[in-house]
Amino acid sequence: MHSPTNTALPEPLLALDHIDTFYGAIQVHFDLSLEVGRGEIVCLLGGNASGKSTTMKIILGQVQPKGGTVTFAGEAITGLATPKIIRRGVGSVPEARRLFGAMTVRENLLMGAYLRSDRATVAEDLERTLDLFPRVKQRLDQRAGTLSGGEQQMVAMARALMGRPKLICMDEPTMGLSPLYVERVLELVRDINRAGTTIFMVEQNASLALQIAHRGYVLQTGRVVLTGSAQELLMDPGIRDAYLGGEQAA
Amino acid sequence: MTTLLDVSALVRRFGGITAVNKIDLAVTAGEFVSIIGPNGAGKTTLFNLISGLDRPDSGTVQFAGETVTGLAPDHIAARGLARTFQHGRVFANLTVRENVLIGAHTRQRAARWPALPIGAALEFVAALIRPTWMRDEQELLDQEVRDILGIFGDRLLPRIDDPAHSLSYANRRRVEIARALALKPKLLLLDEPTAGMNQTETAEMKALIGELKRRGQTILLIEHKLDLVMQLSDRVVVMDDGIKIAEGPPQVVRHDPAVIEAYLGHPTLGAAEKVVAAEAS
Amino acid sequence: MSSWFDYTINGLVVGNIYALLAVGLALIFGVSHLINFAQGSVYSVGAYVGLVCITYLNTPLPLTIAIVLASCGLLGILIERIGLRPLQGRTRIAPLLATIGISLVLDQIVQLVFSAQPRALPSQVPDWRFVIGGGSIGALDLLIAAIGLASAAVLFAFLRFTKLGWAVRATAQDREAAQQMGVDVDRVDSAVFAIASALGGLSGLLVGMYYNNISPAMSFQATLKGIVAQVIGGVGNVPGAIFGSLFLGLTESYGIALFGTSYRNLFAFVILILVLISWPNGLFGGRRSLPPEPLTGTFIAPSRPVLLPFWLVVALVATGLLLPVVVTSPYVIQTLSNAWLYGMLALSLTLVAGTAGQISLGHAALLAIGGYASALLALDLGLSVLVAIPLAGLITGLIGTLLVYPAFGLRGHYVAIATLGIGEIVSLVILNWESLTRGPIGITGIPPLAIGKHDFYSAPAVYWLTFAVLVGLALLQRRLLRSPLGRTLRAIRDDDVAARTYGINPNRYKGLAFAFSGFVAGVSGAITAHLYSYINFETFTSQISVLALTMAILGGLGNVFGAIAAAIALVGLPEIFRVASDYRMLIYGLALLLLIRFRPQGLFGTV
Repeated sequence: MHSPTNTALPEPLLALDHIDTFYGAIQVHFDLSLEVGRGEIVCLLGGNASGKSTTMKIILGQVQPKGGTVTFAGEAITGLATPKIIRRGVGSVPEARRLFGAMTVRENLLMGAYLRSDRATVAEDLERTLDLFPRVKQRLDQRAGTLSGGEQQMVAMARALMGRPKLICMDEPTMGLSPLYVERVLELVRDINRAGTTIFMVEQNASLALQIAHRGYVLQTGRVVLTGSAQELLMDPGIRDAYLGGEQAA
Repeated sequence: MTTLLDVSALVRRFGGITAVNKIDLAVTAGEFVSIIGPNGAGKTTLFNLISGLDRPDSGTVQFAGETVTGLAPDHIAARGLARTFQHGRVFANLTVRENVLIGAHTRQRAARWPALPIGAALEFVAALIRPTWMRDEQELLDQEVRDILGIFGDRLLPRIDDPAHSLSYANRRRVEIARALALKPKLLLLDEPTAGMNQTETAEMKALIGELKRRGQTILLIEHKLDLVMQLSDRVVVMDDGIKIAEGPPQVVRHDPAVIEAYLGHPTLGAAEKVVAAEAS
Repeated sequence: MSSWFDYTINGLVVGNIYALLAVGLALIFGVSHLINFAQGSVYSVGAYVGLVCITYLNTPLPLTIAIVLASCGLLGILIERIGLRPLQGRTRIAPLLATIGISLVLDQIVQLVFSAQPRALPSQVPDWRFVIGGGSIGALDLLIAAIGLASAAVLFAFLRFTKLGWAVRATAQDREAAQQMGVDVDRVDSAVFAIASALGGLSGLLVGMYYNNISPAMSFQATLKGIVAQVIGGVGNVPGAIFGSLFLGLTESYGIALFGTSYRNLFAFVILILVLISWPNGLFGGRRSLPPEPLTGTFIAPSRPVLLPFWLVVALVATGLLLPVVVTSPYVIQTLSNAWLYGMLALSLTLVAGTAGQISLGHAALLAIGGYASALLALDLGLSVLVAIPLAGLITGLIGTLLVYPAFGLRGHYVAIATLGIGEIVSLVILNWESLTRGPIGITGIPPLAIGKHDFYSAPAVYWLTFAVLVGLALLQRRLLRSPLGRTLRAIRDDDVAARTYGINPNRYKGLAFAFSGFVAGVSGAITAHLYSYINFETFTSQISVLALTMAILGGLGNVFGAIAAAIALVGLPEIFRVASDYRMLIYGLALLLLIRFRPQGLFGTV
């Protein structure tokens, strides 16, 4: 097992320091700082419009913060273009999957390995990844757009794995899935993590996400209002306020 | 009390997803009803269906005693329904005054002339000649615009002749509400009026909506800031995945396990119970 | 009389040529959501590069083809890099207008280098034909078919089997997700423009060899045909573009067989309008898809208009009135009269494109309707010119509105395409409706401008008349803009969804805008007809439509004073300083490009 409470490791894999983000005149992040250590599953929780998804976009370079820095594997990546960030070992499972619907599942998976030129090892990885997702294997030559939501989520996760990332960012991986798939997806997240990939996950489904995460941050209108180990957060009454807009937390 | 809005078994599908799934909803004149639910629950789609911007796959919408299902939005507006938009849609190159005057569009005499070529042509001629009655009407509306803007204190009045694109985000949201009020709506649909606002602005908006309620305005509200919803609503409707999962007075809905589940996640592993227990303690 | 077999072969060959154009347009639309109006210009560049290779360098055919592909591919990369990439993140109409500007510049450079005269492009293919059944197939037919098939196969292989091809497909489906896979989408844009332009250039070379004739004027029609083919197959759909092209080629060929050559283009544009209105997603696309994401804001850059003080307006009008007294050169006075006529056109377009937000690319057709109406009223019905002109204005307003009415449901780019098509239809109907319009001969002996028995022959008289009409119409338009109706029109432009939600019926007001706009342009066309005493279907070319749009943008969309100032700047000044007409279109193109890039709100700002 990992040591989820040990946040003082010398160098986190990913660190956001004092991020301020604006959309036009609206401030989305207020001095946001968080860290993801190597080997961890960290989840970012929060209600609607709390700034969760924007955090993901900041990490992936799709939105530029007005202030603060993003560090990945010891190097600043603030201001880099998305493909450059991906090249450094970041994988993405975007919100609502965002598969290439008119391409086959196989093509989608190989798009995940777009930046890799080692054909032989990509082929090996494809086999290995498919072993992890037997359902996906059956649908390999189907157009991705024809799959069910749960199957698409599997493909999106497999696609991210194909890039051999150090870190996978997952934006609401359980959104819109049936309860059966929700559990399956979260189990897979845990398996992927155990195989050595660090996971940073944005989730609305707090109670389930905290079951597999080591640590969590709770975001409310762009500020971190709570942080701690998964167990601590699960028991914290404040988390309910963060979601349901209770008076104390406001 | 008369039922002003009556939505029954409304369904709207997009591809494989049912965004609005057999929703029933009634709003009585003078009532304040709120719709809450997580992102993607289908709330805004429901607003689009009611206001005519989108057509349902099945089900009916009745407004002020008439069936308005599938009518064009301008016809529904003319019957007294006004709405605001989630991300704020003001007319960027129009001034604050002009934006609010557009809200009164359907109340202008010339604009109500039947849409036959004749009515339109007469409206055109009237616009060029500008007869006395038209000038009087515009003057009256202008005074009304000032009165409406007055509700917002000195947020908008000093900027009455500024183009809307120069306003702050919060002010654009206020202009939207002012524009909706200029329609003198029987029913006002507010889609997240406090989205993107800071705490002070939110508090101000809450006071404003409260004031509208006191004046007897019937309101259907979508809002994420639940303390606002809980304090103002007569009734709360909770949607998740296109389905109405709960309905009732605010305090009842707040403690409904299904609602807690919708927001916090499925209680498969017993977490929600823990949260509820924690809250109770 | 050729056989049906021949017509089929001809249709397929022409369809192949269209396909090379349309596939490029579809690729570009797929990746950039942009309709590339410069595609035809690249096609004509391809034809002229071929001309240089064949007649001056005597290259063998395979080398000719290779040189055309390479040079046009490079041109495509330059177009994307210099003309379009700086506009990323701008309003969606900006890159479309930029491609129009690029097209003007390229066409004019070709014309300056090679002159406007048609040139013979010798075919490098042996001249033999062999006979099958009732018809025959030539070597060139086979070559074009082979190149069409080979291009489709290579393109298919590229998209299916290469890494860059995958990146293109992924980017077309989801730009953001492709970036998250590490795709450099800027490189994808470059690649797509290179491919599209290489194929477009090849198409130009082949069409030149097929008809043994090339001219700079071929560019515009090529763009139109490519767009029509693409719309038929579904905008952005590559296989659809091929289908649409063959369909269009065959329809045109059979149309010629049945009705004669002059009907060829009429078929193309009628199909365009029908498909746009009935199957906006193309014959393959679904009818009902997700409603478009609400577009917040508009294509118009927010700005504050420059307000002129009242005394300045009075001073300017007075100066305008007194000018013929001071300036004695009839040349200058005539030029300014011409500028006033263009000013009316600019007023007309700035109302629909600026105030009501409906970009029209077929505005010259309104001039043509006005000119023909007034000329025919005066000649055939014997009405006095004074009556004929305003009546022609009314007729133009009515016909113009009715013609555009079916397209009122369209938005953004589609309005531009539809008005372009409608404009072409109008000039083709004028060409073919011989019993009314005298067909290709045109109308001669149109009575001169006159009030009662006083003919307006002198330059100052014409000047005062045009100036007075212009000022009158401008005041009327200003009054309209300041009325509640003007407010309503601007609201529709800024956000038509919000406008509908507040009870505005957009069709009613778009109709009024087009009617008034048609009246103003009709009057301008009518005066022009009486001034020229001769008009034909080519008097009011589509270049005038583009010029009018440049004026409307230069002056600031919706800006009445700006429109007139822009007319002086773009028509009056080059004429007075005697800029050769070849350079004039070049200036217009550059002006349009620079404006979109650096001052999208125009000189005097959007109203």
